[in-house]
Amino acid sequence: MLLAVDCIDVFYGNARVLSEVSLSARQGEVVFIVGRNGAGKTTMLKTIAGFLHPGCGAVTFAGEDISGWPPDKVARLGIRYVFQDKRVFTKLTVKENIELAAYAAGVKLGEALDRVAQIYPKVSRFLESPAGGLSGGQRQLLLIGRAMVGSPRLLLVDEPTEGLAAGSIEEVLKALELMRGEVTLVIVEQNLSVVSRLADRIYCMKEGHIPAELSEPADIQNQSYLETYL
Amino acid sequence: MSLAITGRPSLFDAVVGFLRKFDVFVIAALFLLLSLLISTDRTIEFMIFCIFVLAYDLLYGHMGRLSFGHMLYLGTGAYAFALTGELISGNPFLALLIAIAAGALLGLILGPIIVRTTGACFALINLAFNQLGFFLALVAFSPWTGGEDGMSAYFRKVWLIDFSKKTTVFCFALLSLLLVIYLLRRLTNSLFGLLLRGIKENETRVQFLGYNTFAVKMVAFIISTSLSAFAGALFILNYSYVTASFIDPLRSVEVIFASLIGGAGSVYGALVGGVGYKLISNYLPNYIQRWEMFLGVVLLLLVFKFRTGVWGYILARRQRLEAPAALESKPPEVSR
Repeated sequence: MLLAVDCIDVFYGNARVLSEVSLSARQGEVVFIVGRNGAGKTTMLKTIAGFLHPGCGAVTFAGEDISGWPPDKVARLGIRYVFQDKRVFTKLTVKENIELAAYAAGVKLGEALDRVAQIYPKVSRFLESPAGGLSGGQRQLLLIGRAMVGSPRLLLVDEPTEGLAAGSIEEVLKALELMRGEVTLVIVEQNLSVVSRLADRIYCMKEGHIPAELSEPADIQNQSYLETYL
Repeated sequence: MSLAITGRPSLFDAVVGFLRKFDVFVIAALFLLLSLLISTDRTIEFMIFCIFVLAYDLLYGHMGRLSFGHMLYLGTGAYAFALTGELISGNPFLALLIAIAAGALLGLILGPIIVRTTGACFALINLAFNQLGFFLALVAFSPWTGGEDGMSAYFRKVWLIDFSKKTTVFCFALLSLLLVIYLLRRLTNSLFGLLLRGIKENETRVQFLGYNTFAVKMVAFIISTSLSAFAGALFILNYSYVTASFIDPLRSVEVIFASLIGGAGSVYGALVGGVGYKLISNYLPNYIQRWEMFLGVVLLLLVFKFRTGVWGYILARRQRLEAPAALESKPPEVSR
């Protein structure tokens, strides 16, 4: 098992947001977390990424307990986080955005640009443009491409298709499909057609718990069942 | 960028291109000209103040951290320089090195507390330490610092370099300014500068890329405190005395104003702001008794009309002129 979240509780102040939650992901697996707003999906990703620390329980990555590690140390282990809301560095150019990822991953800029171009083929046209000027879809592709620089082992993706038009969603899905098998994906998503298309396993979240885990293909395609969690 | 619009470089591009290539000479020539127009003494003061603004701007303009207490680091350099001359050695170069080291050491000690904070907290914690430093220099350490009376600082001639001559101080201050510009430009154009800009925009995102932002902020803070201390030492080299006014937190407003006037985050902005502020504060009192009121009006204008300062305004104007062409070449939507 590459990632194992074992019975964690996470608090915002005194409020318990995640309660005895467990989750796991195997090497190369595509795992989805679905649930309503406020169910604790993003909190789960932030906890794995080291931004939040579990009150109890453990987060284990490749056999190492990373609970309580700071985000930069978690990232250096090969875990990347693609933020919700397409948060690129808006005032830096596209090239500078990639440059930051390249240095962090210890790869040459040319190599990083090639990597991003695999995900986002049109990137070379906008290298000198401020990343803030890109459209939502372009930003998302840039973020996913940037996260893939340096061959990470686990990618945490928060609502990758949120607020995107149908065409852009297709572009993002193709990018995610391209990464299937190469990297383990843990994706938070509310768009069930996206979930059904990509998922190897689904965790349904509700009010800080995971009441259901689906791994059978028939269950994954059962959108009416999944809708009960949205 | 203008090439795309007109097919040939605009006048602005030509000027900026020339400045970028030969700016060291242009800056040196402008300060030489200034020394002829006003006085050598004042030009030296202007140049040293510009070094202070550049040091301050590394934190404010590049990293997005506004400090209300940067006089502490300037004052530390000033006192370290003067006290070295008094107690250790009359060699001005050794005293300068000790002053820079004192600034770095102070940054190293206070940094772990200060750089963890942001926004108002960062500004005020600097102010608090500045107030403490001011008290120490004025009262607690007055037997060594001379308290309100201050202390003299004279240095012996080293080889042929005699800092009692204003021409020597002018040349040394100019060389120091050019060196600081070169170093800061190298620094801010490197990955380190990119990281600072990233931290300014969103520190968390930089952390998630795998960077230890605390270390980056500490390095930037220590460089800023060291350069501020260097400026402080140069002031004393020029004036040959130090008083508590060199560490007075109320004077922190000077460097903030200079940064705002010129425009944060650029070398040219810092120079325009440094010289602009010094011209206002040196010459306006001759005509207006309550000249600080004018500064207040300038601040209001900056807040409401020119948020990016003089240099930022010039760059923004240029971008606006290019806007129609930029729209044509705007990145198209992936699919909409």
